[in-house]
Amino acid sequence: MSRTSPLPRAALGRPWRPSFLVGSLGAALALLAGAWGFVLLADDARSRSALSAAALAHAAEFAGALLGAGSDAPPAFLQAERWWAAAALAYETLAMSVLAIGIAAIGALLTVTLAARNVARGLLRPSRSPLWPALFVVIRAAYIFSRAVPELVWAMLVVFVFSPGILPGALALGLHNFGILGKLCAEVVEDLDPRPARAMRASGGSSAQVLAYAVLPMVLPQFLTYLIYRWEVIIRTTIVVGFVSAGGLGRDFRLAMSFFHYTDVALLLMVYLLLVLAVDLVAGGLRRLSR
Amino acid sequence: MTWPPRQRASATPRRRPLDGRGVLTLLLGGAFAWSLATVPWGPDLVHPGGERAIAQLLAAALRPELSPPFLALALEASWRTAAYAVAGMTVAVAIGLPLGVVASGALARGALSRLGAVAATRGLLALLRAIHELVWAWLFVAALGLSPLAAILALGLPYAGVLGRIYAGLLGDVPEAPLRALRASGASEWQVLLYGRLPQALPDLLSYTFYRFECAIRSAAILSFVGLGGLGYQMQLALDDLRYGELWTLLACLVALVVAVDLWSGEVRRRLVA
Amino acid sequence: MMFVLDAVSKAYGSTVALHPLSLAVARGETLAVVGPSGAGKTTLLHLLGGVTQPSAGAVWIAGRPLASLPPGRELARLVGVMHQQLDLVPHLAAVHNVLAGRLGEWRLLRSLVSLVAPREIERALAALERVGIRDKLYERTARLSGGEQQRVALARLLVQDPAAIVADEPVASLDPARAEDLLQLLTGIARDDGKTLVASLHSIQLARRYFARIVGLRRGRLAFDLPAAAVSQAHVDRLYDLDERADDLATAAAR
Repeated sequence: MSRTSPLPRAALGRPWRPSFLVGSLGAALALLAGAWGFVLLADDARSRSALSAAALAHAAEFAGALLGAGSDAPPAFLQAERWWAAAALAYETLAMSVLAIGIAAIGALLTVTLAARNVARGLLRPSRSPLWPALFVVIRAAYIFSRAVPELVWAMLVVFVFSPGILPGALALGLHNFGILGKLCAEVVEDLDPRPARAMRASGGSSAQVLAYAVLPMVLPQFLTYLIYRWEVIIRTTIVVGFVSAGGLGRDFRLAMSFFHYTDVALLLMVYLLLVLAVDLVAGGLRRLSR
Repeated sequence: MTWPPRQRASATPRRRPLDGRGVLTLLLGGAFAWSLATVPWGPDLVHPGGERAIAQLLAAALRPELSPPFLALALEASWRTAAYAVAGMTVAVAIGLPLGVVASGALARGALSRLGAVAATRGLLALLRAIHELVWAWLFVAALGLSPLAAILALGLPYAGVLGRIYAGLLGDVPEAPLRALRASGASEWQVLLYGRLPQALPDLLSYTFYRFECAIRSAAILSFVGLGGLGYQMQLALDDLRYGELWTLLACLVALVVAVDLWSGEVRRRLVA
Repeated sequence: MMFVLDAVSKAYGSTVALHPLSLAVARGETLAVVGPSGAGKTTLLHLLGGVTQPSAGAVWIAGRPLASLPPGRELARLVGVMHQQLDLVPHLAAVHNVLAGRLGEWRLLRSLVSLVAPREIERALAALERVGIRDKLYERTARLSGGEQQRVALARLLVQDPAAIVADEPVASLDPARAEDLLQLLTGIARDDGKTLVASLHSIQLARRYFARIVGLRRGRLAFDLPAAAVSQAHVDRLYDLDERADDLATAAAR
């Protein structure tokens, strides 16, 4: 909109950049006021009662129940066999996360070069064919859709086809992360130094050879870094997807919550935290290997 | 190629068995193979009516529900999702910024007090972000009852954990020279923070916050699964009643919302950091 | 004739990099292109290497018009170009960068297999041996020094085995001793294998010592084209000095 009136702007001697930011700041503040107004006033008066004395007492009671207060049975997290059962679920959850990142990575790897602007415009093969730009648009659109739809929604769709277990959860996580990894990796390809690839073409390499010898070796290290980073995010999300796809820790967490077995909830949370911590440590080690 | 054989035999360089990247590739490949092996492959993997259900679902993409009353409902759900995201981000910044400042070690003078404060806040931040927002939501609903506040806290806490860690890194990485100059002129660590660290890191801080806002939209959408309204809740209702057309309308709303925020935050970040 | 340029000129937009120029280079000849920065050396070399097409005039490589030689295997058999930035893939081991010179001859499957278990390793070894870094075969290219990377790029050209080598400032980033080593290597290879060699250089001394023929370029025009022995100090002075004076005149005229 600023392009329609370049003269006054030039007369003021002020660049356009800050004005977009100032406008964004105004919009952000308006959004802030609107959102809080909606949440506190229009949406639900219950939010004020949430901090009432009764609600706080209920919260304290819930916290106590997590630790086993008010129950005769010994809390789940003090029973060895419960730990073993939870460990088996953690194993399943881990498998789900690895399967998910694998699916996402394979999908992204197969499509990423076509989704990079420099490749679509002929880095590998100078070409006037409209096929490549068209594929670029299609794959980029798939990336956008894939990552805009949250894992949990993907899971709700996937369980229509697959029976509960590890695979539907991994598929849901993979479908969401496919778009994220694809976008991140496409940007890596777009930032790559084109000269070695051009030199290789000049010395007689075909598109596929240039891909294997110049493009992939230069971008794979960065891909690996993103892959490890997304794995850390995925492991935190496996539990949530498990609510729906009924695999791993998520399934039992949901059941324990529904049956008010709060000490089981506490145990599952502990195992979940340990799993997340372990994955973070392993991911740190893998990152060091990739250097 | 004509090479005296003795020369070739003498000093052909040995290939190193495996470097770090080779080990990593093997590990990743092995892990993926293992995860594939844990799946119970077989005919039971797919529901009997699965193909038909997915065909109906896909066919419905061409016939999204566009009746005015439903569009109004979808718009209202979209606004609610956006509002929760904004409110949750406010909480996240309100908690994450102070924690991030402490975790960056910017305020502590002594080495020991710095170490203690940094370790404690980093641990707290790690705990906050280790638990997924939906798990937080469920816990808060169980503790506080079904209220918007539960959703906002559930979104705000893990996001505070992420923001705090990143803020700490950004505040710790600012160029040191201006800070030294401030200290030399007698500024306290608080003043160094306000006049040196925060102004230098501000573009990056804002940029990252905007980036997380995009993620918050998606998170807010799924938070409604615990029973709070919003896009996710409406999607669940639509799926439960097999009204696939409505599902596609809601999906379109979510994609539009995410893309709009993505474009906006991308433009803001480009201008902030460039 | 290896190269024939007939009234070739090159312009980038409104900037003329090379004014109409004719030149013939015989097979097996070694030719140095000298001149101050911005004289059009790189443009001339890119035309010889088939990297760019001329704006006007015609380029023949080994008797074939350049227009009929798109980047690919045929051109790669005739000319190999060593760019100033070397254009190696830093993440690959030296062996793969060297064998990349064979990509034009290899089928896809062979080149993929080679990334895991290098094929025709004796070729790579022979080439690296010849440039004196046989022991760096499996070293990652990013870990090699600048001079060693230069040699890897040269080894790649050896494996590619073109009839002519076009080298753009091959010694620009090397210290004097290493520069001499590399030129000795390059000209030795050209002599032993009967290859045509065209290289651009900054130093006239090096050009005179290692090349048979020297072409001087100044502001996109041919200043002289002589046997190395016939290039006198006066030629050199004019090449560089006149350029400055012309600059002075130009700025004076602009005022």
